[in-house]
Amino acid sequence: MLLEIKNLKVLGNGKEILKGINLNIKKGETQALLGPNASGKSTLAQIILGNPKYKITEGRIFFNKKNITKLSSEKRVKLGIALAWQNPPAIKGVKLSQLLEEISAFKGSISTFFKFQKIGFQLINREVNVDLSGGERKMSELLQVLSLKPKLVVFDEIDSGLDFKKIKEVSEIIKKELLAKDISILLITHSGEILKFLKPNITNVMVAGKIICKEKDYKKVLKTIKKYGYEKCKKCRLLSNR
Amino acid sequence: MKNVKNADYYQIDNRIPEICQLKGIEVLSAKLAWEKYNWTKKYFLKKPKHGYFIWVKKQPQLPIFTCITIANKNIKQELQNLLVVEKNLKIKIQGTCNALKRNLAGVHQAKGKIILKQGSTLQYRHIHSWGEKDIVEPNYEFFLEKKAKLDYSYKVFSPPKKLKMKTLITLLEGSSANLNIVGKFSQTKTEFEETLILKEKGASGIIKLRLAGNKNSEITAYSKVVAQSESKGHLDCQGLLMNKDSKISLIPELICKNKKAQITHEASIGKISEEALNYLRMRGLKEKEAINLIINGFLEN
Repeated sequence: MLLEIKNLKVLGNGKEILKGINLNIKKGETQALLGPNASGKSTLAQIILGNPKYKITEGRIFFNKKNITKLSSEKRVKLGIALAWQNPPAIKGVKLSQLLEEISAFKGSISTFFKFQKIGFQLINREVNVDLSGGERKMSELLQVLSLKPKLVVFDEIDSGLDFKKIKEVSEIIKKELLAKDISILLITHSGEILKFLKPNITNVMVAGKIICKEKDYKKVLKTIKKYGYEKCKKCRLLSNR
Repeated sequence: MKNVKNADYYQIDNRIPEICQLKGIEVLSAKLAWEKYNWTKKYFLKKPKHGYFIWVKKQPQLPIFTCITIANKNIKQELQNLLVVEKNLKIKIQGTCNALKRNLAGVHQAKGKIILKQGSTLQYRHIHSWGEKDIVEPNYEFFLEKKAKLDYSYKVFSPPKKLKMKTLITLLEGSSANLNIVGKFSQTKTEFEETLILKEKGASGIIKLRLAGNKNSEITAYSKVVAQSESKGHLDCQGLLMNKDSKISLIPELICKNKKAQITHEASIGKISEEALNYLRMRGLKEKEAINLIINGFLEN
C-alpha cells in the first residue's frame, strides 16, 4: 500500500471537519473522491500534505509504510507526495520559471524539463498565480506537480472551471506523464467530469467529513449522484462498502 | 562587467587609487573640479573634501561605474558628488557604495547633485552594502531640465546600523522620473525622505518603495509629491513586516498647487501570507527558503 489513512479525525477553526477517514491507495492506482461543497475533500487534500492549519485529533497517515502524521509538508514532498491546489495563492514577483528552478527534481536546467513537457511555455514568464485564467492556473499547478517527480499526486478539483476540451487536454497530460509511469493519483472532484477520461479504479464519496461509499464502477456513482444528488447518497442502494 | 578595481571612479576610505578617463567624459575628484571649473561652485556650495565629479559631454558607448568603499575601521567619508549630463545624451551609471567588512563602524555621508540637461536620459543603478555598525547618510538632489528622463533604482543588499536617505527630484517641463527604493532591513534604523517636485507643465514622476522589515528594524519613509503645475505624480509605497519586533511607518504626502495636476498615492503594509508559505512548503521548500522567495518576490514586484 502506498498511502494508508487510518481513522483520521481533523479539526479546523475548532470544528471537526474530518470524522474518521479511512483511505488506502496502492502504487499505480487511481482513486476518485467525490463530494458536495464543504464535505471536507480539500481539507483531506491539505492534511495529506501536512498543512499545519489543521489539527489531527485522532488517526494516522502512512506513506510507503512510514508514519508521516507529524511530518512537515516539505518532508512529505521529498518522500514523493504532491498536491495540485484548487485555489492556489498568488506569489507576487516570483515567476513560474523561478519557482520551477527552485523546486524541480529534474537535474539540470528547467528548460530541459520543458523540452520534455512541451507545455506551459507561455506560462513560465508569468508570476505564480497572478492574474492567471482558470485554465492557466490549472496548467501551472500541473507543471509544478510534474516537476516534483512524485509517487502520489492529489489533484484538488483540477477539472473545475475548465471546458470539455481543456479537461481532455489536462487528462491526456496526466495519463502520459503520471498514469503511464505507474504513479498513484487521488482525484478530488465535485463535478466528476474528469473521471470519464481517467477512469479511476475506485471512486469514493465523501459527505459531511465521512467517506460513505467506495465503488469500483465510477459510472454507477456518477449516475447515482446525477439522479439523487449528494444529499440522498446515503440512501442509494448502489453504494456499497459503507 | 567591470569589477570595483577597474571602476571609472574608485574611492577607498578617503583615497582615490583609480580614475579612468573615458572618451567624452571628464572624471575628476570633486576637490579638483572645484578648483578647475568655477561654475561647479554653485552646485558644490562649499569646497569639497572628497567625492567625484563626472561631466558627460559626449555620448558614451559603455555604462559608467563608480565604487566608493570603506575598508578600514572608524573611517568617515564626507562626499560631495556632482554628475552633469549634457543635452540629449543617454547614459547608464552603476554606483556601488559598500564596506568591505561587517564591523568597520564607518560613517558614509554623501551629498550628491545630478544635473540632467535638456533631453538627456539617465539610468542609475545605485547599490549599497554595509556592515552592521556603519552609519550611512546619502542625500541626493536630481535636477531634470526640459524633457530629461531619470530612472533611479536604489537597492540595499546589506543594511547599516543606521541609514538616513534623502532624495529630492525637481522636474521641469515634460521631464519624467522613476524612483525605485528596495531593501530588506534587520537590526537597523532606517529613514527615507523622498520628494518629487513637479515644477513645470507635463512633468511626471513615480516613487516606488518596497521595504521589508526583519528583526529589530525600524523603517520610516516620508514620501512627498508636490505638483506646482499641470503634471502627474504617483506614490506607490509597500512595506512587508517579517518580524514582530520590527516596525514600518509609511507616510505619503500629496501637495497640489495646480487644479489640472493629477497626483495619487497607494500605501500598504502587510505580513507574509500563511497560505503562500504553506503553498511553497508543499512544493518542497523549507520554511526559510519559502520566506526568502516570498520576500524576494515582494521586493522585485
